[in-house]
Amino acid sequence: MSENERANLTPETKPLRLSGSQPFTQQSGVYIMIGERTNVAGSPKFAKLVKEGKYEEAVSVARQQVENGANVLDICMDEGMIDGVAAMTRYLQLLASEPEVAKVPFMVDSSKWEVIEAGLKCLQGKGIVNSISLKEGEDKFRQNAATVLKYGAAVVVMAFDEQGQAATYEEKIRICERAYRILVDELGFPPEDIIFDPNILTVATGMEEHNNYAVDFINATRWIKANLPHAKVSGGVSNISFSFRGNNKVREAMHSAFLYHAIAAGMDMGIVNAGMLEVYEEIEAELKELVEDVLLNRRPDATERLVDYGETLKGVGKAVNEKKAEEWRNGTVEERLSHALVKGIDAYIEIDAEEARVKLGRPLLVIEGPLMDGMGVVGDLFGAGKMFLPQVVKSARVMKKAVAHLTPFMEAEKAAMEASGQVVKAQGKILLATVKGDVHDIGKNIVGVVLACNNYEVIDMGVMVSSEKILERARAEKVDIIGLSGLITPSLDEMVHVAREMERQGFKLPLLIGGATTSRAHTAVKIAPHYSEPVVHVLDASRAVPVTTSLLSEDGREAFVVEHRANFEAIRKAHSAPKQTLVPIATARTRRTPIEWRAEDLPVPEFTGVRVLDNFPLATLREFIDWSPFFHTWGMKGIYPRILDHAEQGAQARQIFTEANALLDLIIEKSLITARGVYGFFPANAVGDDVELYTDDTRKEVLERFHFLRQQANREGSEPCRSLADFIAPKETGLQDYIGGFAVTSGIGLKELCDRFRVENDDYNAIMAEAVADRLAEAFAECLHKRVRDEWGYGREEGLSPADLIQEKYRGIRPAAGYPACPDHTEKGPLWHLLDVQAKTGMLITESFAMWPGSSVSGLYFAHPNSRYFSLGKIGRDQVADYHERKGMSLVEVERWLGQNLNYDPAESTR
Amino acid sequence: MTTSNQHPLRKILETRIAIIDGAMGTTIRTYGMKEADIRGDRFKDSTKDMLNNGDLFSLTQPDMICDIHRRFLDAGADIIETNTFGATSITQSEFFVDDPREHGGRKDPEFYQKIIDDPMLSDLAWEINEKSAQQCREWADRVGSATGRQRFVAGAIGPLTVSLSNSPDADDAGFRVVTFDQVKTAYAQQVRALIAGGSDLLLVETIFDSLNAKAALVAIREVFDQDGKELPVMISAAVGRGGETLISAQTTEAFWNAVQHVKPLSVGLNCSLGPDLMYPFLEELSEKANVAISCYPNAGLPNPLSETGFDLGPADMARYLGDFARGGLINIAGGCCGNTPEHIAAIAKALEGKAPRNWTRQIEAAA
Repeated sequence: MSENERANLTPETKPLRLSGSQPFTQQSGVYIMIGERTNVAGSPKFAKLVKEGKYEEAVSVARQQVENGANVLDICMDEGMIDGVAAMTRYLQLLASEPEVAKVPFMVDSSKWEVIEAGLKCLQGKGIVNSISLKEGEDKFRQNAATVLKYGAAVVVMAFDEQGQAATYEEKIRICERAYRILVDELGFPPEDIIFDPNILTVATGMEEHNNYAVDFINATRWIKANLPHAKVSGGVSNISFSFRGNNKVREAMHSAFLYHAIAAGMDMGIVNAGMLEVYEEIEAELKELVEDVLLNRRPDATERLVDYGETLKGVGKAVNEKKAEEWRNGTVEERLSHALVKGIDAYIEIDAEEARVKLGRPLLVIEGPLMDGMGVVGDLFGAGKMFLPQVVKSARVMKKAVAHLTPFMEAEKAAMEASGQVVKAQGKILLATVKGDVHDIGKNIVGVVLACNNYEVIDMGVMVSSEKILERARAEKVDIIGLSGLITPSLDEMVHVAREMERQGFKLPLLIGGATTSRAHTAVKIAPHYSEPVVHVLDASRAVPVTTSLLSEDGREAFVVEHRANFEAIRKAHSAPKQTLVPIATARTRRTPIEWRAEDLPVPEFTGVRVLDNFPLATLREFIDWSPFFHTWGMKGIYPRILDHAEQGAQARQIFTEANALLDLIIEKSLITARGVYGFFPANAVGDDVELYTDDTRKEVLERFHFLRQQANREGSEPCRSLADFIAPKETGLQDYIGGFAVTSGIGLKELCDRFRVENDDYNAIMAEAVADRLAEAFAECLHKRVRDEWGYGREEGLSPADLIQEKYRGIRPAAGYPACPDHTEKGPLWHLLDVQAKTGMLITESFAMWPGSSVSGLYFAHPNSRYFSLGKIGRDQVADYHERKGMSLVEVERWLGQNLNYDPAESTR
Repeated sequence: MTTSNQHPLRKILETRIAIIDGAMGTTIRTYGMKEADIRGDRFKDSTKDMLNNGDLFSLTQPDMICDIHRRFLDAGADIIETNTFGATSITQSEFFVDDPREHGGRKDPEFYQKIIDDPMLSDLAWEINEKSAQQCREWADRVGSATGRQRFVAGAIGPLTVSLSNSPDADDAGFRVVTFDQVKTAYAQQVRALIAGGSDLLLVETIFDSLNAKAALVAIREVFDQDGKELPVMISAAVGRGGETLISAQTTEAFWNAVQHVKPLSVGLNCSLGPDLMYPFLEELSEKANVAISCYPNAGLPNPLSETGFDLGPADMARYLGDFARGGLINIAGGCCGNTPEHIAAIAKALEGKAPRNWTRQIEAAA
């Protein structure tokens, strides 16, 4: 069907706007899909689930509908055996806790007004009421419409009046117009929120007066769209084919042919089972003609002919519920668990938890391993504003299911340990309270839910709880951790008071601090010093579990506490010591690296533009390997080759060195991994602290721009405030300078190689392969740098040994984004664009600006003899603001990427 | 439905940016009041701490509250808010009724039904709302006639201490501590008392749960219908870093779709993020909504280590809101938590002569 045939929205027509947690706006020419599997009248399966109280499964029906693309969910509980008000309320409240479902608008569908109103009381967004009509007269109609308007919903108006259902064209348009005038003229109902259902009635019943029903509907639709401005048209499509029950092939053809014509006439939406819909173009010609003869009432014997034809097709109907392939199921069990937690999917969580338990050997390892990692991802996403609270809670509920599956195994393990005389720790018990003077606890309740889902016993004492009561209860219940919450500023002092009391009374429990006005810095500076045990700030609900897990873990606790204390000590030091004194960025720029710019220091490269190095010989790279970091990977600190003769480490160093080389031999001989790279030279000049790259030597058109940062530390003496931009000739010198860029990898094929080792349970060689590949990547960068210096000219006379190269005794530097001179990882973005890295090598940058595959190196080449590495150090708000302007990246994001370099706490004073 | 069209405030909003006052709670704290001060004689025997029940000051320390109103008016506020953020029986119950959770019980609809039915709490809530509205009325009129500029009283309707969207029960995501009807009943009483006290406007604010807000808006509609009197309604949400209502996680445009039917005088954002992080969502709202836009952010994010508890000073707030005005985004501006009369004075000065957002033109363009 072409776009112009879809006449539902003309430019003057206001679209239907609805919302769940997300907005929904009707698009011109796009039919609105209303999911109807959550209607007890339409789905016996759903009705059964509701009747049996299996609401959890009933929720998954809604979820599938949304996943299959439903724009709106029709929810109906009209069934004799179901208490409509209770079922509607409970179901909608459950859906509200299901973020993936709650994002779409709901259609509250009932013939009982009290059920409709109960439904409206559960919708935070703008839904649709299905339906009202003039069946019981105008007063009742007005009253119901006013109620709909009061709650803010769109409304389906059935073409019914005191005389009954409108069957003919004339009746349909008469009733719809009457209803429209009352709604719009008398009640001020927004006309775009009125959805007429002019009754789709069954055709081909054998009764002659039914033969024109489809035509009547289609014509009425066209009339409504032309005469009742902004109004919409909907209908229950499957009614049309009721007389062909049992013959899905015919029904599917009828549905799609009917929709084809009704949509062309302006129908906006309809209730239809998407699985019962043939594609119009794919209906075979003969069937299509027969069906359309019936629908359009084109010949008197149309019904007979279709019935005869239908007999020949019986039983051919195609499978209805084609399930969308769930690709994420193909990942590793760790990936699947993480995906399930992040997306809040509980369908497979038990199977996956079991698989992980078998794989990892102990149930606790599953919880502390992949599940906690998954919750960590959830925490990160929440912190970045990419997940919202209800999703965090949903993730926790999925977690709860996984934990519930693992609990019997943990208990069995515990019993076995007890039987063998070992001491076993009970499940953690956590006391939560909002402190005295504060009544806010919605956030704390969410923390409680998340903790309870992770198998903690949570004692929630509520709000306004005094220190005495908290500590008394903590003692009586022998809790493991106390968590304090508060929203208002005065609560901070109360938290200090509780900490002091815990110290005075000799408590030995960790204390958690949370709530909107609390902060890590405040906890470290003002609360923690009053209590000898760990006092930990918990940023939000998503962070609670990692903290409590660490605090109660037998193996992990000590390391966590030590690290936490060190962190807090650092915060206190930073807080008490004056911040490092910085010079203003304007002053720093006057202290740039002093360079006397001369044309002879600016070599011209042999070419400009980009070159690709595919399948670079690994044997060549091997000669450039710097082995010292390889030993660091294995925890051996020392310099190659001396480490091979080290008194204690020597033997082991020699052994792994031999094995690494054996693996390297194999990799080279069998070409198990591939090295690939791309590099290039470009005309460039510095403009302020940016470097502009040009398309050619006329230097008129800017090809790309790198943004650099400048040191601001106020050093004694005449040390300059360096920036990488200092090493490229400024534009105002009029000199022609160049910059190089590169990205290399030796990681292509590495994953497959490691996977193969792992399949053979050879984790050792898998790690070894990664370590060796890392070395090859670094070697590649070194080797390419040599070539670049040659191509720049000055490298040809350097005559350096491999050892000299490792010590970087050559002219020029190759700093990388994310390293000390240029700590902003996002500067890889322009480099990737400049060199077209992804297309040319297959190397990607991830959302966190890491390179994929691993074992990759990228950076820039600077040739000036004075260029050198340096560490940026701390920078001030002034430079960050300037950088945010230059780069066009939001301040929050800049501060996130440069967190380590900020000389201030972004959450604190901006004065 | 059409009240807001004829309202004098609406005319002002078309010609200049109106100023709404700053924070009550954080400003009260600068007066150094103690527990005994808020209790006065009347609440001297309360078993629970009252100091953070700021609405009660309208009854026990009216001079201080009126002084704050006066200072905001002197600073240039066109609209002052009643001191009634927590003046519902539900929120007041937190200060007067034992929390069942202290004794292993729980809060549920049965518990809150007792609260709704408790005459002491109802009377108290009524009294706070009516008194506070009267105090605002008096000072708005005094300063208004002294300066020859009409001032308006917005009856402040806060978000409650309970959520209709969230379950505190780990085993049952469908559980709610309170019902829609209970919340609606508590709000309806607040609305009536605010109107009785002489409010010009009703302001449903700091919305972190859209369903709570909806209950308030339904209550307002029912009171209007039953009592035959209608006031303009202002609506303001508190959103997080993704522009979502903090607890119920409804994004900005979805929220507007859900409340648009009220035909409010204004819709906007307040509290939570502070001006800089709020900007993109204000922009979105300004683009979608065909009514006036209000914006009264916190003075930055809360910072417990700073002296006022918040980061931004008067000059900072003035700069941010000045930027919003230049961007043509706002019709009403002011401050939430951390904003003192000095902040409001700076904001009022910065916005003087700045053109308001022209929403009538925007509707025509969109139509």
